[in-house]
Amino acid sequence: MKSPDADQAGAGIRLSVSGIRKSFGGVEVLRGVDLDIVGGSVVALLGENGAGKSTLVKIIAGDYQPDAGAITIEGTAHSSLNPVTARRLGVRMIFQEIADAPTLTVAENISLGAWPGRRGFVAWRTVKKRAREALERLGVDLDLDAPVGDLSVGERQVVEIARAVVDRANYLILDEPTAALSSTESERLFGYVAALREQGTGVVYITHRLDEVRAVADRVVVLRDGNLVLEADAKTTDRRELVSAMVGREISEVRRPEAVLVPDDAEPLMRLRGAGSTGAFDRIDLDLRAGEVLALYGKVGSGAGEVVQALFGVRKLDAGTVEMEGEAVKLRGPAQAIEHGIGLLPADRQRESAFTMLSLAENLAAPSWPRLAKHGFITRRVEAEAYWRWHGVLNVRSRDDAGQELGTLSGGNQQKVLLGRWLERHARVLLLIEPTRGVDVGAREEIYRSIRALAAEGVAVLVSTSDYEEVVQVADRAVVIARGEIVARLAADEIETKRLIEEVGG
Amino acid sequence: MELNMSPGSASSAAPALDPQGKRRRDPLLSRLPETAPLIVVLIGLGLFFTIKSPYFFNYDNFLNILTAASIAGIIAAPATLLMVGAQFDLSVGSGLTFCGVVVAHFAGDMSLGPAIVLGVAAGMVLGSVNGILVTVVGVNPLITTLGTLAAFVGLARVISDGQTLPITHFSTLGTARPFFEIPLPVLIFAAVMLAFWVLMRFTIFGRSMYAIGANPVAARLAGIRVKRFIFAAFFLSGVCVALAALVNISQLSAASPTAGNGLELSVITAVVLGGASLAGGRGTIIGTVLGLLVIGTLNNGLVLLDVSSFWQEVARGVLLILAVSFDQLRLKLGTR
Repeated sequence: MKSPDADQAGAGIRLSVSGIRKSFGGVEVLRGVDLDIVGGSVVALLGENGAGKSTLVKIIAGDYQPDAGAITIEGTAHSSLNPVTARRLGVRMIFQEIADAPTLTVAENISLGAWPGRRGFVAWRTVKKRAREALERLGVDLDLDAPVGDLSVGERQVVEIARAVVDRANYLILDEPTAALSSTESERLFGYVAALREQGTGVVYITHRLDEVRAVADRVVVLRDGNLVLEADAKTTDRRELVSAMVGREISEVRRPEAVLVPDDAEPLMRLRGAGSTGAFDRIDLDLRAGEVLALYGKVGSGAGEVVQALFGVRKLDAGTVEMEGEAVKLRGPAQAIEHGIGLLPADRQRESAFTMLSLAENLAAPSWPRLAKHGFITRRVEAEAYWRWHGVLNVRSRDDAGQELGTLSGGNQQKVLLGRWLERHARVLLLIEPTRGVDVGAREEIYRSIRALAAEGVAVLVSTSDYEEVVQVADRAVVIARGEIVARLAADEIETKRLIEEVGG
Repeated sequence: MELNMSPGSASSAAPALDPQGKRRRDPLLSRLPETAPLIVVLIGLGLFFTIKSPYFFNYDNFLNILTAASIAGIIAAPATLLMVGAQFDLSVGSGLTFCGVVVAHFAGDMSLGPAIVLGVAAGMVLGSVNGILVTVVGVNPLITTLGTLAAFVGLARVISDGQTLPITHFSTLGTARPFFEIPLPVLIFAAVMLAFWVLMRFTIFGRSMYAIGANPVAARLAGIRVKRFIFAAFFLSGVCVALAALVNISQLSAASPTAGNGLELSVITAVVLGGASLAGGRGTIIGTVLGLLVIGTLNNGLVLLDVSSFWQEVARGVLLILAVSFDQLRLKLGTR
């Protein structure tokens, strides 16, 4: 693949932004950022959530217009770009969520939206020829006639990159491209990025994974609070430098509650041994102890959520065992898991847990119907009584009416009612996936308090989260998972922001 | 942008929490039952026909309306249960024809008792086939029951050879008037409605169907046996179709291979008119009964006014579209 004239490739290709400022509703997200994208080199862009990474690249791609500063492309300065000009000038961005047409073929997707043709008829030969050439340039072998929907996530990403190649993109921005990839697929992606670099493309590579920086980039740039805080050689900068640049000293550790210390040798209520599920996770051992909040911390796509699904019987285990109080159990579905005393609060409230058009009482009582029913009959009164048992405990802000529709409450209060489900069901093990996603700050605190109160009453709690601050706020013990495997086990006194970020990256 | 989770910011966010109760702008309108518009329509129709026709407002004519509504009514009860669970059964008309033909056919060869048992079994088979296709195989309920609609009406014609089959000594079920001159079909209709009202309001099965219709994924994760309940609802639909078929052939003393044509339209119109949401999660037996009464009154009144039966079909179609449009409007206003 390596061309002899690699040094010349990309000469003259240069995009520079300087002094870029941008505010949203009075909040300054970028405070004068400079960045150069040079043909034939890869720059890794790092930063916490909210550091301004996405805003910056969206300004380069023309999605946002900067309040101040200039974008200079190959010598011509622009005060702002729109998506059409940005594209015309060779800027292409590939998002985390792949936007392809799954039922169309690889070849069709590579020229999607710009099919060559004559008088309204598509020139299929040209479509295929272009696709073949683009894939060759990347050094990939894909069936041009396969529907894209049949491909793996990694392969679909290649198709997206090939689209950029067909468009002769000089500047390619990749937004966390490996977030949903396995490690082998990631390795391959690095290869494609390297191939493009050799051919003279300037690449911006946004990532959360610090170990990728050295593998893929020439330079590394760190943003924090809208400022560029570090620009360095990617090959010589070590992870500690990067972490402290990202986190910064002024962001203090989040306050931790007093940890409950359950002894290591306490008999676990639920136990996972050598658990594996193809394509999601492997060799997972977990102990859930009564009275303890265990956090399972991993990035999106790390397999953390899938482990919890397996504990609730929603995902099949290909290897390993689940034990309840020392006895092996086979969980074939949620109904059975619930019978074993396990409760789940899923991540996507609207889709997976809320009955927004039903009443608060019904929402809270549904899993407990079999117990609440007398001779198979449930009355609204019994349900309402169940609701009022927990209304005060959970501090739900609702009207004085158990019949109120759940959908009329705020997200945080809905979540409290749904947490109440498992209180009423007397769950002994409570599994939570991203329990405070989309919940405002005040309600967050209350949900954490409820989780801790539950643990204090002897429930074994597992919180699966991709938010390290959540781990710090709620966990007595933490397990860090990356690419489907456990990479660290932290005791209460080891749980701190920096440590978590470091562990999850490597 | 992620929220800043530093400890100080927690208290400042508290006043912004949950301004509940402010969403409902018009308390008077929201306190009215959802069935209120239907009651108004029903009273309006009653007044209109009372003025227009001297034969409308009397006890016998009211019994006529109820009798005419009883076949669709017996089937509309499980159809309400299904629609609340976001399911549909289009095969009810074809099933009614099929079950009727089975009973009449075998009543000729064997005695009446076993033939009736076979007829009910036919309904159970129909319900089970629908239920298995939807829950186990995972075919969309509209497609499933569109398929069984075609298949079972075809089977009915095969068995009857396309002829109307007479049935004798079986008129009690359809024509007896045990008390207050009320025909037995009306009493059966009422009993089925009562049974489904209890089922949908007070049993785990009924309540679970609301949860399934409201959010099937959440229902499963809350431990509700989604497939089992959906199957049971289709099964009940089959049983009620068989019951309606028995009433039908008893009334006519014959099983016609076209007996159930278009019945699915009447049933779904009534259920949707009664306030059940096509998306599932909403709907009541009381609403469905009112829907049936509106359609029945309209049909009855149009006959009394000597309007051609072709126009009655037009009216029924328009009513269905109005009912569905109303459902959509309500959803749009609800989500705003």
